Amino acid sequence: MRRAFVILVVVLFGLVFTSLVIAHNERHSLRPLAESYVKLIPQELGAPNVITGILLTYRAFDTLGEVAVLFMVAAGVGLVLGASNKRRKSSPRKVVETARLSSEIVQSGAQILAPLIAIFAAYIIMNGHRSAGGGFQGGAVIASGVLLLVLASTRYRVDLEFLSMTESAAGVLFVLTGIAGLIFAGGFLDNRMLPLGQFGAFFSAGAIPILSVLLGVKVGCELSVIIDRFRA
Amino acid sequence: MLELFVYLLCGSILASGILAIRLGSLMAAMVSGGLASLFAAVCYVLLGAPDVAMTEASIGSGLSTLIFLYAIRRTATAKE
Amino acid sequence: MAELIGSILVLLGAIFHFSAGLGMLRMPDAYTRMQAGTKASTLGNTLILLGLGFYHPEWSLKLLIIICFVLMTNPVSSHALARAAHMIRIPMTRRTTVDALRATRQRRRSGK
Repeated sequence: MRRAFVILVVVLFGLVFTSLVIAHNERHSLRPLAESYVKLIPQELGAPNVITGILLTYRAFDTLGEVAVLFMVAAGVGLVLGASNKRRKSSPRKVVETARLSSEIVQSGAQILAPLIAIFAAYIIMNGHRSAGGGFQGGAVIASGVLLLVLASTRYRVDLEFLSMTESAAGVLFVLTGIAGLIFAGGFLDNRMLPLGQFGAFFSAGAIPILSVLLGVKVGCELSVIIDRFRA
Repeated sequence: MLELFVYLLCGSILASGILAIRLGSLMAAMVSGGLASLFAAVCYVLLGAPDVAMTEASIGSGLSTLIFLYAIRRTATAKE
Repeated sequence: MAELIGSILVLLGAIFHFSAGLGMLRMPDAYTRMQAGTKASTLGNTLILLGLGFYHPEWSLKLLIIICFVLMTNPVSSHALARAAHMIRIPMTRRTTVDALRATRQRRRSGK
């Protein structure tokens, strides 16, 4: 009986998705809204990357909502898994002795790779307005670097207070930048409060690099805190 | 030509999803999930969305798989 | 002319990748499979990226950096995998005669 129900549900899902796939015919020109964005963003915002321009100016309020969702996830994980970690902090020496040390090759390799990963993450964040990249991608790469260090040597302790404070400070600065956009330029999180600069240069497109940096720092710290809470 | 690659990749995503359900051990199923994420990231690059591909590759293939690993380890030791 | 050299290098890289896949299927146990997979695929990666450098000479510095990165990460990760496999005592094939890591681990355990 239950199996028949499961098969029925799977077949219905399959029908829905198949009808979506069959009814999809490829467009050869953009929709009017997309076309207006593609024309408008290099002129008004001075950013060659249309996606970052939309994410951090026209739909920046949704980005703020996404940042709030990530913060709720980190707080939830901390609430659920934080209680067992108090026991860990009281006896750190026992945990270190029973944990298996990784070999020297892996530790040296991780020590060489972690700064390179950090540089790569900074490159992705700072070039968000020129080529593919942006705040979220850079934050995820920073968290991968922290994950590498956590996995390579069992003695590595992530400084939780520093990360929590940095993350909160980045979030507050994000909202303050938005309010500054309200005072100095058109609206909340408008990027024209700083000069637009030359098209495609490193420091251009107004406040978009600053917002990218704050977003990248916040996402990176949050994911690192989540990883450290999960580690038993 | 591009469409053929995209169809092949979508078939691979389906295959790794089915593998993730049918395999015996939990660790192998987790690796299959990461594999599906990797194929999806390559699909996104072929369809012209490099930002999404970067995010999917780093979060889906990297962080999500490892958080599953930690969750498996925690539930395995809690059972005893 | 440069395109011909680039195409030959990419073809060689593809042959090495294929041999890596074939080795992973045909080798007897986990350790030899790891060795086949890592060595051949690292070399295949290097050759394909070098061949791509001949096609687009303006990308050559970035491709060189990617090659260095691949050379740093692939062997280290395979080393970590092999040590983890030895730690959980995955059996070796009967054709292996020397097991240096087991001797070292026994000496360390008895010495401690």
